[in-house]
Parts: sequence; C-alpha cells; structure tokens
Amino acid sequence: MTDNTALTSVSESMHKDQSTTAEDGQADLLAGESDAGELAGKELVVGYPGTETPVIEGETIEVEPGSVTALIGPNGSGKSTLLKTLAKQLDAEAGSILVDGNDIHSLGPKEMAKKLGLLSQESTSPNSLTVEDLIYHGRYPHRGFFEKVTTKDQAAVNRAMELAGVGHLRTRELGSLSGGQKQLAWIAMILAQETDILLLDEPTTFLDPHHQLEVMEIVEKLHDESDITVVLVLHDIEQAARYSDQMIALRDGEIQSRGPPEEVVTEELLADVFRIEATVEAGSTGPKVTMESPLHDDPE
Amino acid sequence: MSGTDPSAAAEEFKSRRAEEGRLAWIRDPSLIMLCLASVAIVVLAGLVQISFGSFTMSISQAWQSVIDTDVIFDSRWMLQFFLGEDLMRTITGFQGAELPELTTETLIVWNIRLPRVFVAIFVGMNLAVSGAIFQAVTRNELASPFILGVSSGAGLMILLSLVVFSSLSAILPLVAALGGAVAFLIVYAIAWKNGTSPVRLVLAGVIVSTVFQSLQTAMFFFADDLGVVQTAIQWTTGSLTGVGWEQVRMVLPWTIISMFLAALSSRQMNVLLLGEQTAKSLGVSVEKVRFALSGIAVLAAAASIAVAGIVSFVGLIVPHLVRNVVGSNYKKLIIGCLFAGPALMVGADVGARLGLMVITGSNSGQMPVGIVTGLVGGPYFLYLMRKKQELGEI
Repeated sequence: MTDNTALTSVSESMHKDQSTTAEDGQADLLAGESDAGELAGKELVVGYPGTETPVIEGETIEVEPGSVTALIGPNGSGKSTLLKTLAKQLDAEAGSILVDGNDIHSLGPKEMAKKLGLLSQESTSPNSLTVEDLIYHGRYPHRGFFEKVTTKDQAAVNRAMELAGVGHLRTRELGSLSGGQKQLAWIAMILAQETDILLLDEPTTFLDPHHQLEVMEIVEKLHDESDITVVLVLHDIEQAARYSDQMIALRDGEIQSRGPPEEVVTEELLADVFRIEATVEAGSTGPKVTMESPLHDDPE
Repeated sequence: MSGTDPSAAAEEFKSRRAEEGRLAWIRDPSLIMLCLASVAIVVLAGLVQISFGSFTMSISQAWQSVIDTDVIFDSRWMLQFFLGEDLMRTITGFQGAELPELTTETLIVWNIRLPRVFVAIFVGMNLAVSGAIFQAVTRNELASPFILGVSSGAGLMILLSLVVFSSLSAILPLVAALGGAVAFLIVYAIAWKNGTSPVRLVLAGVIVSTVFQSLQTAMFFFADDLGVVQTAIQWTTGSLTGVGWEQVRMVLPWTIISMFLAALSSRQMNVLLLGEQTAKSLGVSVEKVRFALSGIAVLAAAASIAVAGIVSFVGLIVPHLVRNVVGSNYKKLIIGCLFAGPALMVGADVGARLGLMVITGSNSGQMPVGIVTGLVGGPYFLYLMRKKQELGEI
C-alpha cells in the first residue's frame, strides 16, 4: 500500500519545481536511487574489429547529471557507436568511461545494469512473449538467481507500465502489437530497470508521428519528474532540439559542436555536419529548421 | 491509474505477480494439457511395450506383472534396479546369494521390457531439453543437440573405438559422450573471435560436423567385419535394442542433474531470447551464460548418446512442438519438454521394436529407434515449412 501512495505523490509532484523534487524523498522512487546519474567518457577511441581506423578518435563527452542530451549527426557519424561504447556494449580501445565516478570496468555486469539502462536499436523478442513478461525482464539485474518476484519488483513494473502508458497492453503478446506499441513496451522494460542513466538508441526511428510523440513525452516526463540522466540518439533535428537540454553534433566520429540547442542548431552547423542547406528560426519549442536542399560540394 | 481513486479498470492494468507467487505460471492450462497428454502417451506406449515381445504372454499377465507386489513392495528389488546390486547390498545389508525368486512373466517384464521404457523416457527428456537449450543459445529454432558438432564427435569416437581401438568398446558410452563434448569444445573454439555469435556457432558446428562425418565414412573402409559395421550403424542411428537396468542406472544421475540445472536456468534463457545487446544491458554475462548453458545441453545430449546412440530429430521436434503449444517462455518450455520428449521417444520405440513384427509378421528384427524418429521428424518439418511463413529465429 505504501508503494501506491508514494506513487501518487510522484504523480502529484509532476508540476512541482524541479529544485524541490530533489528534496522530495518520494520522487526518488522514479529514479530508483537518489542522485542523478553521472556519466562521462574520456578520450575515447573506438573501432570495430576488422577495421583499420577507429570510428571515434579521442573524443571526450561529459553528460550533465539529470539532463537530456541528444546526439545528432548523419548516418555513419559514430553517434550510435558512441552510445554503445558508453553502455559498455563496445569496448573502447583507449580512454575511460565513468559512471557515477567509477570506471565501468570496475563494475560487475549486474551492478552496471542497475546504474545504466540501454534501449538498443535492434531489439528482438519472441512473438509469444507478453508485455508484462517483457517488462519483468527489466528487473533482471535486481533479482538474485533463486529470488522470486518481490513486491518491490512488482511496484517497479507497475510504475514503468504507468509511465510508458502500456498498462492496457499488459497481457497482450508482443507479436500482436504495432511497432509503436512494441517500442513503448521496450521502454517500459528499461524503466523497470530503475537506473539513474538511460541511453536510448534512436528510440523514435521507424515510428509513426503519434508514437514518436508518445516516446518523447516519456522522455520529457522523466526529465521533469525525476533526475534520471538521459542520452539519446535522434535523427530528427527539430525533435532533438525540442526535447533536449544539451545537444552534441557528430560528423565522421568527431564532435563538431556541443551545447544548448539554440547554440548547436545553426545554419552553419547544418551545412557543415549534415551537408544540407536549411534556414533556422527561433520557434516556441526551440529552433525551427526548414530544410531546403542537399549540398553536393564537399564543405571542406 | 491513481492511488486515491482506485477504479476497477485501473486495477486490471496492474501486475499482481508478487501476490500470485512463484509458481503461478505453472497453472497455464495449455501446459497442463500437454503434460497430461504426454503422460497418457507414455503410459499407453509403455503398456504396449511390456505386453508384446518374443516371449508370449497375455496382456493381463503382462499388466499384472508390472504391479507384482513381490517386486514393487520389495525395496531390495527396487534398489537393485535403480542403484545396482552392490549399492543394494550396502544399503539393505542383504547377504544372501540371490533375491527371492520371481515368476517368469515378472522377470521378463521387469528385467527386459520395463527398463527399455525407462531408458526411452530419460533419453527423450535429455534430447528434448538439450535441444531447447541449444535453441535458446543460438536463438534459432532449427538448432538441435547435434548442430554444434556433438553428434558427429560422438559418432566418430564410436567408430574409432569399434574399428581401431577395440579395447575401448567396453566403455563405448563414455567414449561417445567424451567425443561429443570434445567436438563441442572445438566448435566453440572455432566460433570464438572476441566472443561468439549464434550464427558463428552454427557455422562452426556445420564445418566440424562435415569434417567428422567424412572421417566417419572413411572409417567404414577399415572395418573388416560386417558385425562391427552393423553395431556401428546401430550406434550412429540411435537404438534402444538390448538396453537394460544398467543403462537406466547410467543415464539416471546425469538426467537428474542436467534437467535440474536446465529448469533453474530458464530465466537466463528467457533473457537471452531478447537478443545479445539487451541481455548484456540487463547485466547478463552473455558469454559465460552461453557457455554454461551449452555445457548443460552437451551433458544431457551425451548422457542420451551414451545409452542410445545418436537418435535424430527428437531434440529438434519436441522443443518446437512444445513451443507451439505453450509459447516461448522457457519456464514452461522446459517443463513441457520434460514430458513431451519421453512421449515421442517411448512412442517411437514402440514402432522401432514392434513395427517390423507387424509389417513382416516375423518375430525377428528390430529397427533402430533413430530411423523411426527420423521418419516421423522429417514429414513434421516439411509440414511446418509449408504452414509457417517464418521458420528459424525464435
């Protein structure tokens, strides 16, 4: 019962000022742990086995705790590679990654999974798996080998289902869902993981506009109601500008620009990084980008 | 949903899993039906097995022998069957030369016909569960215990010990199991390159199998005796002819261990099905889990090879069939395989043992059970291929 009442106060705290929610102990429930997750990658050199030159050559990224950071860049610019490296899915050839000040190599797999959650781009699942079963898999790092489902697990799953808005799909099989509904179910799974840091690899790609907004609304809620640190890769520049506090633009594995959306999204950057001609105007929800034509000459 | 205003509709959308308890999933009606049907098949096929054979007795005589109180209420007989005579003597302190005499019917049913049913049950369990595990490890429902080189390794060792190192034939089962395990390790080593992947494991399995099978065929040229060739064929196609309590005692402990471990690891297998990246991000040590699971599967497969040779298709069909009924949740799948595997194996062995007798009318000759499972399995897969659009990835 305590879980239920706590949950309502989290919902009520939705409109509170962010500075007060940090003191509100019950807001921690959403984040699992109290402090916002710190994530930093230092002097990262990352390559894939079999390729000569590394994809990313000595980049440093420091994510502001409790913020939403969007990685943007053209195809093959290394944004997904960077994200996967931060999530320990790829091993960096050089450099170090710190989660809450600890090198990720000093963390066990489960310890790591309690601190950092990753939504992969290519997620596969058996069609006969129910949404609820999928979300319970998010509790994997919190459960011991012989442990059964505890009320804590159950509460986390219910919170995740509510936040992602998939409660009504609870008993449905994944095979019967649309792509958008599936994505929401996957997001609910990593929310049930209750990590301080969430990395989302192209969470809106291939989704219809409705589900894109559903996904981004979850990100917005996480940002407003908790101090989870979110890093996500987005293809839609306007979307990235609208929902993020910080943006990082990559080209050819190099960070070209970083900072608040208004500073990053400029006509010069779009020409330089994305090789498009576009006009940028200030809009109500961040910079408005009107794309005009691709640039054919090499900007170098 | 809201805590202050809990409506019935909101409650419906909430998980109650912690209250439902640990084993709530077992109440799945389709799983229960599958298990009951499998038990019925095992009992029926088992009764057929003990009722017919070269020694003629009436069906009622045969069934009465099964529940002969001289045997089933005499712990010494039971211990002798399941643990062996030496252990029986140690446990009960029995000093006499022989246990009390039994009627001929009871002796035949208990000494010859029943152990064969038991071996079939255990072999079916092992192969089905082993297949289910390999399908989770490779995330491919076309994987089977033998895809990762286990069968070819075992087969090669069987032929080697029959043809070249005839002194080893006494411990043929052990040699076969060892060969399977070694082949699997070779496959794993070939597939390893900064970790393995399901595709590389399957490819390495195919490569190793091809090489080993060529060596097997080559081995037949060195066999100088037709009897040796026949024994070799029996082993490499899988047969339950002539198995007794000794084989039950051989397979039982490994079955218990591997089935127990498989049931325990079902959550790991469920997470593996979410894909390598997701499993990793949930804190699974994917490589370690994959290797450990493969180890359990090789153990189970080796135990069945040791007593029955290489019985094809059981490890492929049974997990498949069970998945169609209960879904891909490995908690249910493993339990389903524990029941459905024996059903297929005992059923197929009826065909293998009595099929020729029905067809030819003569009392001689038995087919290797592997031929029957192959004859059943092939068409089943053909049917699946025609019916299902996607076959392969789980």
